[in-house]
Amino acid sequence: MEMVNITINGQKISASAGITILKAAQQAGIDIPTLCNHPALSPTGACRVCVVEVEGQRTLITACTFPITDGLFIQTESPQVVKARKFILDMLFSERNHFCMYCQMSGDCELQNLGYRYGIDHWVFPTYTKGFPVDATRKYFLMEHNRCVLCGRCERACGTLVANHTLGLRNRGAKSMIHADANFTFGDSSCISCGTCLQVCPTGALCDKRSAFMGRDEQTQHVKTTCSQCSVGCAMEIVTRGGNVMKILGDWNGVVNEGVLCQHGRFDPLYDERIRITSPLIRQKGKIIPASWDEALQAVAKRMGKADAKSIGVLASSNVTNEALYMLDKLFNKEMKVANVGLLNRAAPKLFEKSKGSLANIENGDVILVVGADPVKDQPVASFLVKRTVDRGARLIVVDGEDNGLAPFAYMCLPMADIGKAVEIAGRANNPIILYGAGVSEAAANALKKLQGKASFVALEPGVNTRAAVAFGFANGFKPSEVKTLFLLLGEQDGIGVEALKGIGKGAFVVMQASFSSPLTEQADVVLPMAIWSERSGSLTNTEGRIQKVSKAVEPEGEAKADWEIISLLAEKLDKKLGASLEELSARATQNIK
Amino acid sequence: MTKVKIATDWLAGCAGCHMSLLDIDERVVKLLEAVEFTSSPVTDLKHPPKEGVTVGILEGAICNTHNIEVAKQMRERCQILIAIGDCATFGGIPAMRNLVGTEAALKRAYLETESVVGGLIPDSPELGKPLEMVTGVGDVVKVDLFIPGCPPRADALFYALSELLAGRVPVILPPEHFVYD
Repeated sequence: MEMVNITINGQKISASAGITILKAAQQAGIDIPTLCNHPALSPTGACRVCVVEVEGQRTLITACTFPITDGLFIQTESPQVVKARKFILDMLFSERNHFCMYCQMSGDCELQNLGYRYGIDHWVFPTYTKGFPVDATRKYFLMEHNRCVLCGRCERACGTLVANHTLGLRNRGAKSMIHADANFTFGDSSCISCGTCLQVCPTGALCDKRSAFMGRDEQTQHVKTTCSQCSVGCAMEIVTRGGNVMKILGDWNGVVNEGVLCQHGRFDPLYDERIRITSPLIRQKGKIIPASWDEALQAVAKRMGKADAKSIGVLASSNVTNEALYMLDKLFNKEMKVANVGLLNRAAPKLFEKSKGSLANIENGDVILVVGADPVKDQPVASFLVKRTVDRGARLIVVDGEDNGLAPFAYMCLPMADIGKAVEIAGRANNPIILYGAGVSEAAANALKKLQGKASFVALEPGVNTRAAVAFGFANGFKPSEVKTLFLLLGEQDGIGVEALKGIGKGAFVVMQASFSSPLTEQADVVLPMAIWSERSGSLTNTEGRIQKVSKAVEPEGEAKADWEIISLLAEKLDKKLGASLEELSARATQNIK
Repeated sequence: MTKVKIATDWLAGCAGCHMSLLDIDERVVKLLEAVEFTSSPVTDLKHPPKEGVTVGILEGAICNTHNIEVAKQMRERCQILIAIGDCATFGGIPAMRNLVGTEAALKRAYLETESVVGGLIPDSPELGKPLEMVTGVGDVVKVDLFIPGCPPRADALFYALSELLAGRVPVILPPEHFVYD
């Protein structure tokens, strides 16, 4: 890359030709204030706060959009620049309602910070008098138009990062406002509540209902972790205060998601109203009653210790850590020789011995086949990647039911029986991408195999840690009829009713490791309370096979314990020497998954 | 040495800024060695003396014609005028009225409120007339120093007065004393 020499505030800097003045300044550690600019979004120069003086230029220019060339002589805080910035801020503050004292963002607001930086201690211009509406029609966050500075970050995030194109700007001048689908309330619009706009909003215009007024950023702790709501494995930060989870933020440095999250990851876990199981439970005289960990584990060990391996069954949710799956496999399969193991959800078919597809590859595709998977519903962030690529001109072919969430974006929708046609089209493309899920029929799987070497394949596993569960052999088919003692690792999994016990003989002894109370846990003989996503450390394997760390942000509720820890304790009670530190377990689990 | 005279008054405010002034706590004893508070809403004498003071302090927004009179009188009788609090600097809470309009706000408050029976918008000639636009003090008189904050911290007020006593007029308060909320 060609390097050019420029001077910023008298400091000589060498930087790549064509990058913006803002980027060159940032690389040299020179701070230029910005408002509408965001590192994850393409710059538009809308707010003019980043104006700088460049010798030879007729006017001040925006640092966020101006590419550097050799010999530029730039001043970022000259009297002329400071005067212009103050003028810009006076104008921004004069529009709408920018009174900090009744805004939840006070202390974390980028507009407020600029006001402090440039000493805006009174309004110079008359303030705007026409009120804008407040739109609180969405469940998780509201739009207070009166605090909007029209920076357009939300619109760009919605369009370029999520490719949902819900947001836009309507009207002109002082009447300009952000709109959803031209003239809908946010609740009725095509908004998917991914919250990306909320995360990029520099002011209090977009306001999270749950965490508003619950503390400033400096009063909170951020814990970097991985989302455990689906198999994409988005990097995120859990924001806590005083042991409570306040909100979830996308991690801009995340490899898979690059900051974007979806409703399932950002909001839903915080609104979970299921009742937690906070202490071990044992069935006594037909009733399930609280007990100590020791009593509960003893009861399980007593039963399992003398049971015939053939009569024991293990059923696992995929929403558990690699470490728990490793321990489960080690204890039951390797040590106790239990062969009857199963997974609570289906897995995508294994098309090749070694699948090396990567989600990042989607964006290089010119034809994308989505076969037997509905990422809009099950792996939303993967669907954002598909929609972004479609925006760039790629053809999307959906081979699934008509109600597939991606069908509205597809060039062509085909039933599974017409897989041949889809494969033929993909075969003619330069860079076809195949996204396939558990819905792929056997015939379709065989047809897809023809594209080996030609296409990039990415499995979209249902569930969460399904890929690791498959690696540990949990998806081999479970035979309920042979089970007399069942270990059901239910975890936090939702939507599993009493039918999970279908086919299991009456009188079977059922041990459940579960986080939430449900009609199913009522059927158990012993319940071991398990920590949820925010309360345990370990690792998860995403659908690409990427192993990512999850970190505990808050203490488990009641006496609940981490998924892997419970199985370790049980192993100890069964006199199996499997105990090890989390690091050791992670290392062993990783080795087994690879 | 003669003491420096300070007068304070309030406009459309909540008295919170004056509470903050009182929050200077025991430092006020030290302060009173050098200054004299001639008049304020919390003392017996309410109006700034005719012979004038060195420093005038105003809390609250300009909401009605009475507020303008008070602000103008203070301006005439002081050498250095300080506007304290978000209302005096920006319009603050009373300025929320601007978003609906004065007429609508009066109607809502005096006629349409759920508990009102046979309501009446006060219009005694003794009262100031509400203005169409609520503004900060700076919109009607020249202000020499703005101290925003809701309320401004006692430390900020003490800092400003100390600086003035030392013969310096702060233009903008340093970051540790400069807050909007």
